[in-house]
Amino acid sequence: MLHAVNLTKKYQENLALDNLNLVIEPGDIYCLLGANGAGKSTTINLFLNFIAPTSGKAVIDQIEVSKDPQAIKKLIAYIPENLVLYNELSGLENLEYFVGLAGMKYQQDELVSFLQEAGLQSEAFKKRVKTYSKGMRQKIGVAMAIAKRAKVLLLDEPTSGLDPKASNEFSELLLRLSQQNVATLMATHDLFRAKETGTDIGIMKSGKLVEQLSTEEINHSDLEKLYLNHMNN
Amino acid sequence: MMVFRVAKKEILEMTRSGQFKWMLGIVVALSVVAIYISHVHWQEKNLQRELAQEDARSLWLAQGATNPHNAAHYGTYAFKPQFPLSLIDPGVEKFTGVSIFLEAHSRNEADNVAAADQTGLSRFGDLTPDFILLFIVPLMIIALGHQSVTKEKEQGTLRIIKTQGISNQQLILGKWLGNYAPVAILTTIIFILAALFIRQIDWKFVATMWLVYLAYFAIVNSITLVISSFLNNSGISLVILLAIWIVSCLAVPKTASSFTNEKHPYPTRQEFDAAVAEDKKKGLDGHDPWSEASKKLEQETLQAYEVSKLEDLPFNFDAFRMQKGEEHETAIYFKHNEKLKEVHQKQTQVYRSLAFLSPFLPTRFLSMSLASTDYSTHWNFADAAEKHRVEMQRVLNTNFAENSKLGEWSYKADASLLSEVPEFNFEAPDFGEVMDANKSNLLILTAWLLGSFALLFFASTRV
Repeated sequence: MLHAVNLTKKYQENLALDNLNLVIEPGDIYCLLGANGAGKSTTINLFLNFIAPTSGKAVIDQIEVSKDPQAIKKLIAYIPENLVLYNELSGLENLEYFVGLAGMKYQQDELVSFLQEAGLQSEAFKKRVKTYSKGMRQKIGVAMAIAKRAKVLLLDEPTSGLDPKASNEFSELLLRLSQQNVATLMATHDLFRAKETGTDIGIMKSGKLVEQLSTEEINHSDLEKLYLNHMNN
Repeated sequence: MMVFRVAKKEILEMTRSGQFKWMLGIVVALSVVAIYISHVHWQEKNLQRELAQEDARSLWLAQGATNPHNAAHYGTYAFKPQFPLSLIDPGVEKFTGVSIFLEAHSRNEADNVAAADQTGLSRFGDLTPDFILLFIVPLMIIALGHQSVTKEKEQGTLRIIKTQGISNQQLILGKWLGNYAPVAILTTIIFILAALFIRQIDWKFVATMWLVYLAYFAIVNSITLVISSFLNNSGISLVILLAIWIVSCLAVPKTASSFTNEKHPYPTRQEFDAAVAEDKKKGLDGHDPWSEASKKLEQETLQAYEVSKLEDLPFNFDAFRMQKGEEHETAIYFKHNEKLKEVHQKQTQVYRSLAFLSPFLPTRFLSMSLASTDYSTHWNFADAAEKHRVEMQRVLNTNFAENSKLGEWSYKADASLLSEVPEFNFEAPDFGEVMDANKSNLLILTAWLLGSFALLFFASTRV
């Protein structure tokens, strides 16, 4: 579903992403780990077509992202670290608006069911978003992905700053979407969450993917050791 | 469809913001006050004009049996009508005067200039609907729209929007519509409110003026969104847009005015009067029978009628000479006023050629023209008043010449002669004439409209 083929991004002399090769299949949750500046967000941004690759290609569902960005937008949903919504609109209105921008029109009860599926409490649906916690906002992001019937979920540190309960709820949502064959690429610092939620893990350092492994192959403490080992070398 | 979704969201967000409510409340309140004050002033001035016109006519007729030339010197007034749309745009009325004294031998300038009776504070402008439309509504558009795109960039919502599938063009057009809708509704309300107060309304003029302002606001809205699209910071966007407002609405009109005056200056009052007096000296003075010109006319007239004495002429030569003197003076005034008009036309041409510098200028010209409160209408009024004066002198002098003898200054014409001088009537130019005279303004405004849309399209590719 998601392919990175020799994907490279250079900012003048600075190599932000170096020859990345990656395959994420439907239902996979691929967690990219790495320190700040390792190239995680650059990878996400390249799949979002926010930036153009210097060389190589990012491919989603056999479509090269930079060649047909409009077609890609129909397939993806994106949740950043802080999902900013319109404070003066309710959660329901925000959902209706963003989904509408994807060219989809739903009845009110359908939108409500998406919010319920995303785990938002029903009393919050019609409250203005300015009263929402970060976890509630992220759930709107998930509801957007559900409503959009996204095949690919691109997440840039979505659980950063969430309390453990909200973080756990978010992981459960990802697992549910994974069961629906959604391919997920998630950049994160959270080793525990990556091991718990992900199907695969990639460790990045200085723009390079230095390690790839299945979460089934490794336990928590070994993952931590491996990660620190890469970071310290 | 997506365009309308964006517009709907913009309006929904706007209506829930306190800033919008306050701003709209202030502009609506100012508009209502401006329309009410303008209506009261309009009615007062109209009543004064009607009463003054009736008084002037009554005084004219009340002379009874009188010497025609005495009546010519007694004179009367031509009053400029109070045009209906001057309630929305009083234009230059405040500075041009509303009445002209019509008398023998002199072409007078318009009098009763409102600005002359006002304090120095009047320099800051009156609270009139055109002030709200030309200056305040653009500020409102800027206040509403300066952060339309920059805020999305600052908050990060633009990144989410960009992953949804809507194109940049659709997004910007939706924002344009969302920002424009409240302004268009407000403009329509202002025009409907004003129309409720306007007597003898001509819908062609009102509808065209409404469209002109809608076009002006569309241009301002586009420029606002262009700036907001290009920049990443709402504060900088606001500062730049305010600077554009200052340049477009204040600096360019003032500079254009100074430049045109510099390039084609009017003669001073003293220069004008001196030139008229000089020309008058060279020709016939109807009151001076001893001048060279009078003697020459005397000889020519005696020859033409083949008589040897003025007493043998079939008319009163004194009155005949005064009519000839009047005709000579009329030609002089005509010549010098044509020179003034030429300067006015040159100034107008320069002014109009500078209209490409700011959409404010063509809008201002069109608005005044449609309200019949521009300089051109005033010139037409002054010309009509002069034509009326000339006709009035002709009727009086002819009666004097045909019904009295040479030297019979005690002759009194019947009071009915005064009724033969018709009442002054001036009509504003019709719709076709106004449109014809404003072709260049319409063209420039359309060019601004299309240009601003093209720029908006270009800006949308840079979001």
